[in-house]
Amino acid sequence: MNPLRRIFKQSAAFTLALVAVSITMTTDISLAQQEQQEQPPAPSAPRSVQFPKPVEKSLKNGLRVVVVERPGSSLVSAQVSIKQGGEVDPPQLAGLADMTATLLTRGTEKRTAPEIAEAIEALGGSLESAARWDVSLANVTIMNSRLEPAMEILADVVRRPTFKQEEIDRLRQQTQDELSVAMSQPGTLARFVASRVVFGDAPYGHPLAGTLESIERIKRDDIVRLHSTYYRPDNAILVIGGDIKAEDAFNIAERIFGDWAKPSTPAPAPSAETARELTAASKPRVVVVDMEHAGQAAVVLARSGLKRTDPEYFRGLVTNSVLGGGYSARLNQEIRIKRGLSYGASSALDVRRGIGPFLAATQTKNESGAIVASLLIDELGRLSSDAVADTELTPRKAALMGNFARNLETSDGLVAQVGSLALYGLSLDEINSYLNNVQAITASDVQKFAGARLDTKGANIIIVGNARMFVDDLRKRFPNVEVIPEKELDLNSATLRKSKVQG
Amino acid sequence: MMFRKSIALLFFCALACAAMILPEAKAQTKLPKMNYKERTLSNGMRVYSIEDHSSPTVAIQVWYHVGSKDDPEGRSGFAHLFEHIMFKSTKNMKSEMLDRLTEDVGGYNNAFTADDVTVYFEVVPSNYLETLLWAESDRLAALNIDDANFKSERDVVKEEFRQNYVAPPYGKLDLLVEQKSFTKHPYRRPGIGNIEELDASTIEDVRAFHANYYRPDNVTLVVAGDFDQKQFDAWVDKYLGRIPKPDKPMPRVNVKEPERTAERRFVDYGEHAPLPAVAITYLAPPQASDDAFALRVAESILGQGDSSRLYRSLVYDQQLAQGVEADVDLREDLSLFKLTAMLASDRKPEDAERALLAELKRMQDTPVAAPELEKAKNQIITSRLLARETNNGKALAVGEAAVLLGDASRVNSDIERIQAVTAADVQRIMKKYFSDTNRVVIHFLPESERHKGDNVTHGGMARESNGAGQGTTEGGTGK
Repeated sequence: MNPLRRIFKQSAAFTLALVAVSITMTTDISLAQQEQQEQPPAPSAPRSVQFPKPVEKSLKNGLRVVVVERPGSSLVSAQVSIKQGGEVDPPQLAGLADMTATLLTRGTEKRTAPEIAEAIEALGGSLESAARWDVSLANVTIMNSRLEPAMEILADVVRRPTFKQEEIDRLRQQTQDELSVAMSQPGTLARFVASRVVFGDAPYGHPLAGTLESIERIKRDDIVRLHSTYYRPDNAILVIGGDIKAEDAFNIAERIFGDWAKPSTPAPAPSAETARELTAASKPRVVVVDMEHAGQAAVVLARSGLKRTDPEYFRGLVTNSVLGGGYSARLNQEIRIKRGLSYGASSALDVRRGIGPFLAATQTKNESGAIVASLLIDELGRLSSDAVADTELTPRKAALMGNFARNLETSDGLVAQVGSLALYGLSLDEINSYLNNVQAITASDVQKFAGARLDTKGANIIIVGNARMFVDDLRKRFPNVEVIPEKELDLNSATLRKSKVQG
Repeated sequence: MMFRKSIALLFFCALACAAMILPEAKAQTKLPKMNYKERTLSNGMRVYSIEDHSSPTVAIQVWYHVGSKDDPEGRSGFAHLFEHIMFKSTKNMKSEMLDRLTEDVGGYNNAFTADDVTVYFEVVPSNYLETLLWAESDRLAALNIDDANFKSERDVVKEEFRQNYVAPPYGKLDLLVEQKSFTKHPYRRPGIGNIEELDASTIEDVRAFHANYYRPDNVTLVVAGDFDQKQFDAWVDKYLGRIPKPDKPMPRVNVKEPERTAERRFVDYGEHAPLPAVAITYLAPPQASDDAFALRVAESILGQGDSSRLYRSLVYDQQLAQGVEADVDLREDLSLFKLTAMLASDRKPEDAERALLAELKRMQDTPVAAPELEKAKNQIITSRLLARETNNGKALAVGEAAVLLGDASRVNSDIERIQAVTAADVQRIMKKYFSDTNRVVIHFLPESERHKGDNVTHGGMARESNGAGQGTTEGGTGK
């Protein structure tokens, strides 16, 4: 049965979970039904949850190696993280870090692009490389019986890519084609616009993969320079996780990465730009991108959020869980369940090295664009005006803890979590204190946090859709609506508009 | 440099020297055996259980042997709409109670409707197993089908349709592939339905559908994870065993899709598709067929990974496409092998079509070489290992074997059949199923390429032509 042919009741983005928490169930049933009513059987005593403990070592060349053992699956994931990503793209060269990372697997001194694919796929494995914010990644997932040859290929692509002009041109064309498709999807376009609205020209403002124009400007020299600046062992972390013994993993790491030479120049520091506090916008914007043929309107609420290392991180996580962290969270309740206005509504606190964005998003028919925008803002506001009842808070925390634990069930999920902790300089032990940290958050924490860090005054609204169908209603609530026709949209600029001078 | 040259040589030989037999680098990896227990209750329900105590969770799946192919005539989208209603209220649970019992305790739940089955599943902390068995029995036996639930879920499904098929630039193509690939079999109606038929459905239709298909002798329960077998068996008897089996017969689809006798070609347009796409489909045998193994291997060789035939030719070498897919969509009654290419800019759909067909012909003319065969098998094993990392994945594997293949033991034996596939097998099925007469071709073009004066009706009805082979359709396409 082909997984693509299944129609899911809810978007897979909602699903994740596990952990034992006792709940009180309220049943609200009509009198007619009350006779012969059965109560669900109560749960039995919960089993405790234990997560594997990461262990680490640094090689002589400065490469930090972290290993997490989890027997039983016959699989191993290995990931190399370079500590910079899209935020180091020079202003006119949005997409440079992502192109550089993507090109790793497109040819090395030892193997051409087809040979790399052939080599890793012959082992049954997959090799991916790409940049995100704050990090550039190369990872491989493989049967444990084939780990060493797979790691050799991983090291080869990270250490010795050749960035041939032919491959650069090929990737440029592919990326531009993919961007054309992405820009025709209201949800994706809305997110690109939201980043510009929140960050302006600051390092997180541009689309990570670049724009049609910026991709055109990137030259081979730019790529080579980025690679030689950042891709070095003392600026990298190797995480190996899954069905392997730690000793074997460290030995393989030493054999394969031990001779990766450390340059004599000092290692690059994380970008100072990202660390600076965002200046609050003088007034939040309400931006409509008019896509006349849009089949739906994508509605996004966006504002500044938190850094990963913020001391209030767990308060943020729990607050987000209450608002839009799952099927039963407030946004989906109000928008999908109560009103049937969407297939799903959710929110996310995208924490980064610098302050990241907070987004609440959904898609709805064009006619409902305005009402959904109001619902997003009103629900955000309610977090700080109304206290959360414990009957709501407890399950939202359980959902968050369940999500987290379920992420750790697969080798690649485990490696990603540990990699993230290592990247942000956090204690690797946090895996085992996560559940308690979440449990400790109170209703008062949530209300205070929402008021101080996520208030509606800083919230921007972005809608991509057929403006004619919702803009009049929208103006009734938001007088400062800006409408940008799709053809005039410019993602290269904080103004979001093509300059009239350019024509 | 020496090493690189010899790798290149090996690669060249692997493609050109079909008869070359290379020594096996390593012994074939084994897929760990899944141990399960099975039984059938007196009401006809079948039960499978897989004990695994490595994490304190349990996955519970309820497989109903009804899918979108069973949608009543004129009520396409029904099975899926009904799936939504199963999450509303029952005699003993108010609406969304299942979310209280799953998400609220750190678990999750979801469901999917496929062509042949509808599966409801949840993963919860293992101490909630009894609670969820009770909940599943309640919604099977005592679902409330009322007007309010029906109407609100219908609205959600319409939004789902818009989100997944109308808004995305190539959503319409997904629908077209189904509609044009089958002429008689109900697989031709996409499971999501359409807005007109959803609007036309009534509460009586829903009740009739429920009565027909939601009965214990049409259910397979699969549970995987941290539980005690004896306790589990007792709970199953208590909650699920008590549900009576109805007396009436169950309607079953018994439509034979005729063999294709000539290539058929279609052109249609996407309102927000920035670039063309080409889809080619072939009818293939049912999922349980012996040919399915070689077809899976062929699918892998054709489309899995950047070293696959299609990627290498269309994306890398010729830069005709920005993406390609090969998908052996195995289904209960008959299967559909699909090839799709998303064009690169300034490239013509005819050229992508030609290149896709050329790759199929290569596989018909020349047996694949041993390294490619071994690669495909390694890829298939790895993907099964990945799928079985979680309890839900284990349950899915057993459920699929039990319900769609009619034999749960195939969850362990199928991989041996895959490993036994030879180059001759692959060549044989390529010749048998990928013939000119068994082909449907769809060119999906940006709206801007619709010519004036075409007799294409509004609402996107695809033009059809009976092409006698390749080449452009009437009216011309592309730049």
